[in-house]
Amino acid sequence: MSSRILVVEDDERIRSSMRLALEDEGYEIDEAASGEEALDHFAAQAPDVVLIDLMLPGMDGFECCRALRRQSAVPIIIVTARTDTHDVVAGLEAGADDYVTKPFVSKELGARIRALLRRARPMEDEQPGTFTFGDFELLPDEGLLRHTDGSEVHCTRTEFRLLCELAANPNKVLSREQLLDRVWGYDYFGDGRLVDVHIRRLRTKVEPDPAMPKHILTVRGMGYKLVP
Amino acid sequence: MLVVPGRAGEAPGPTAEAQEVEKAGTGRWHLWARLGLRARVTLLFGLGALVLSVSMGCLSYFTVRHFLVSERENASVHQAYLNAKLIRSTLHGTTGIVPLLAAADSGTAGSNSLLYVGSDGKWYVRSISVGQGALPYSLRHLVLSGAPADESFQTDGDPQFAVGVPVTSINVAYFEVFDLNDLRGTLRVLALALIAAGLVTTALGAGLGRSAAGRALRPLTGVSSAAMAIASGDLDTRLPAAIDDPDLAGLTGSFNAMVDQLQERIEREERFTSDVSHELRSPLTTLSNTLAVLEAHRLELDEPAQRALVLLGADLRRFQRMVGELLEISRTDTGSADVSLEEVVLGELVQRSVATSSHTLPGDCAPPEVEVEPAVADAWVTVDKRRFERVMANLLENAAIYGGGATDVRARRGPDDPEGRATVWVTVEDHGPGVSPDERSRVFERFYRGQASGQRGAGNGTGLGLALVAEHVRLQGGRVWADQADGGGARFTIEIPVTDGDSW
Repeated sequence: MSSRILVVEDDERIRSSMRLALEDEGYEIDEAASGEEALDHFAAQAPDVVLIDLMLPGMDGFECCRALRRQSAVPIIIVTARTDTHDVVAGLEAGADDYVTKPFVSKELGARIRALLRRARPMEDEQPGTFTFGDFELLPDEGLLRHTDGSEVHCTRTEFRLLCELAANPNKVLSREQLLDRVWGYDYFGDGRLVDVHIRRLRTKVEPDPAMPKHILTVRGMGYKLVP
Repeated sequence: MLVVPGRAGEAPGPTAEAQEVEKAGTGRWHLWARLGLRARVTLLFGLGALVLSVSMGCLSYFTVRHFLVSERENASVHQAYLNAKLIRSTLHGTTGIVPLLAAADSGTAGSNSLLYVGSDGKWYVRSISVGQGALPYSLRHLVLSGAPADESFQTDGDPQFAVGVPVTSINVAYFEVFDLNDLRGTLRVLALALIAAGLVTTALGAGLGRSAAGRALRPLTGVSSAAMAIASGDLDTRLPAAIDDPDLAGLTGSFNAMVDQLQERIEREERFTSDVSHELRSPLTTLSNTLAVLEAHRLELDEPAQRALVLLGADLRRFQRMVGELLEISRTDTGSADVSLEEVVLGELVQRSVATSSHTLPGDCAPPEVEVEPAVADAWVTVDKRRFERVMANLLENAAIYGGGATDVRARRGPDDPEGRATVWVTVEDHGPGVSPDERSRVFERFYRGQASGQRGAGNGTGLGLALVAEHVRLQGGRVWADQADGGGARFTIEIPVTDGDSW
C-alpha cells in the first residue's frame, strides 16, 4: 500500500504541482488549502506524512502543526519561506520533524519524506533490549518509552529515534552531524537546529528540570550525550 | 554615478584673462578658506581684540598724558605766580636774591628759578646749571617785553616747562623752569602697562574666538560622526534633538529628515528586492515540481523535447539558486539575517565543509586537497556553521567555474588582528587564470562580471556567490580577500578570529 501524504498549502498551483510530482513518485495525495481543512482531512483519514506550509490564511502553519501534534505523532514536514529566521526553530518547536525551504527541489522533498517514513517503521536493525536511564525505560523494538511507574511517555518517531541513538551509546558524545546522519538520514547539508530543537523537546519529556538537564547533556562545541 | 566628460573643447568657456583674474581674486579667498573655520574665527577675534585694545590704550594714554601735563603746568604756573608775588613783596635791592630764589625753589622739586633785574640788566640764578640760556628765546622775549607767558620745551631731550612773570612794579622778570622728567617716567610706566593690557586682551580675544568657534563647531562634530556612522551602514543613527537651541534645531531637524528619507528609500529598495524574490518563489516551486515530473518521464519524450528539457532544467535550477541567493543577500541588507554562532573546532569544520560542498560541485571537478596545519586543527572558532559551509561551497564553486576547480584548501594560523586576537586563515586556491589586481575587490560585488566571464562554464554562476561569501564572512566577524596563489591561480583567504587559542 502506498503512503498517504497530506499537503497543506494555500497556493493552488503549488498544490497541484506537488500532487503531480509526488503522485509520480507513487504517493497518494490529500490536499488541504487551509489549516482548518487540514484538521478535517486528518480526522477523516490519517495520512502517513503531513506537509504544512507555514504561511497559511486563517490558522497558520505553526498552529496547525501544534493542533496535529496534540492528537497524533504523525511525521510533519514544514515548508518555510526562509531558513535563517526563527520560522524554522518555531516550526520545529511546534512539533515538526523536518523542514524544506521554498522553492524546494521535489527530489529533496522526496528524500525527506522517505527518510521520515523509514523512521516511522519499527527499527529492524536495532539491537533488541531495553535501555534505562533515570526513571525511564526505553524499549526500541516495541517503540515505547515508559516511566518506571508504568505510564507511557508519548513522543514522535523522530524524538524516539533520537533518544534511542543517545541511549544506545550511553556516556558517549554524539555530534549533531552524527545524529543528523543516523536519525534524519541526512548525508550532507543537515541543519544542526533540527537536533537542538528535538533535544529540547525530549528534555521537556524526560528531564525533571529541562533547564538543568541530568540525562541529556550538551557538550560544548561537540554535541550531546546521554547519562543514565 | 554619472560621470560627465570634460567639455573644454566643445563650449567656449570664459577667456583666459578672465579666468586669471578670477583665480587671483579667489586665490586669496582660498587661502583664507583653507585656514579652517576655527583658525579664521580665532584670527578674527584676536584681530578685533587687538584693534580694540590699541585704540582704547591710545585713548587712555593720551587722555592721561594730557591730564597729567596740564595739571602739572597749571600747578607750575600757579607756583611761579606765588613765587613772583613773594619776590615782589620781599625784594629790596639786589642783595639776598639768591637765598630768596633758593627759598622759592624749595617749593617744588626739580624746579629752578631765575630772576632778571631790569635795573642793572643782570640775571640772577640759584644754580649754575640753569642759566638764562636755558630759557627759550621766544619766552624770554615775551616776558621781558612785559607779558606773562609759559612754554614747554626740551633741553637735551628732557621735557621742561618754563613760566615767566614780569613784575613791573619793581622792574624785574621772574622765571621758573620745571623739569618734567618724572612725568615722562610715569607716562612710560603707563604706556608699558597699557601695552601689556593690550597684549593680554588680544590673547584673551583670540582664546575666546577659539573656544567660541569650538563651541559652534561642536554640533558639527556630532553631525560628522553621525554621517560617518550612516555611511558605514548604521542607518538608525540620528542626531539628538536640540530643542533649546533654535539654530541647532534647524540643522538637526533637516539632517535627521534627510537620513529618514534616505533610510526609507534604502529600505524600500531592499524590501522590493526581498519582495520580488519572495513572490518569485511560489511560481518557482510549481515550476520545479512540474519539471521533476517531466524529467521523470524524460525517456518518453522525443529527442528535441529531451534536449529542451535539459536546457529548461539547467536554467530553472540556476534561476532557483539566483532567487535563493538574492533573498539571502537581501536579508543581510535588511539586517534580518539571523546569525546563530557556535563554537566549533576548526579542523573538523573545514574538513566537513569541504566534504559537504564537494558533493554539489559541477560533475567533473575533483575534490580539493585539504590541509589543516596541526597547530590550528584543534583551535576553537565561533562561526555560524551553515554560513561557513555556504562560504566554502561558494568559494569551491567559484573555483570550479572560473579556475578549473579548487586544488587546495588550507587552514593555518594568521597574524593577530588589530584587536590583538589570534586568527586563522582558510585559503582556497585554484590553478586558473587568477584574479587581476584591479579586480580583487570588485569580484565581491554583486553581479560583477569580470574578465573571467568569458571563461568555461561562466554561465553557470549566479553572479552572487562571492558577494554572499563576503556577507557571510562579515556576519561571522571575519574578513575575506582575493589574491594570487603561488602557482599563479586565484587564492581566496578567509580570516576568522580564534575564540579559544589556549591550546596553541
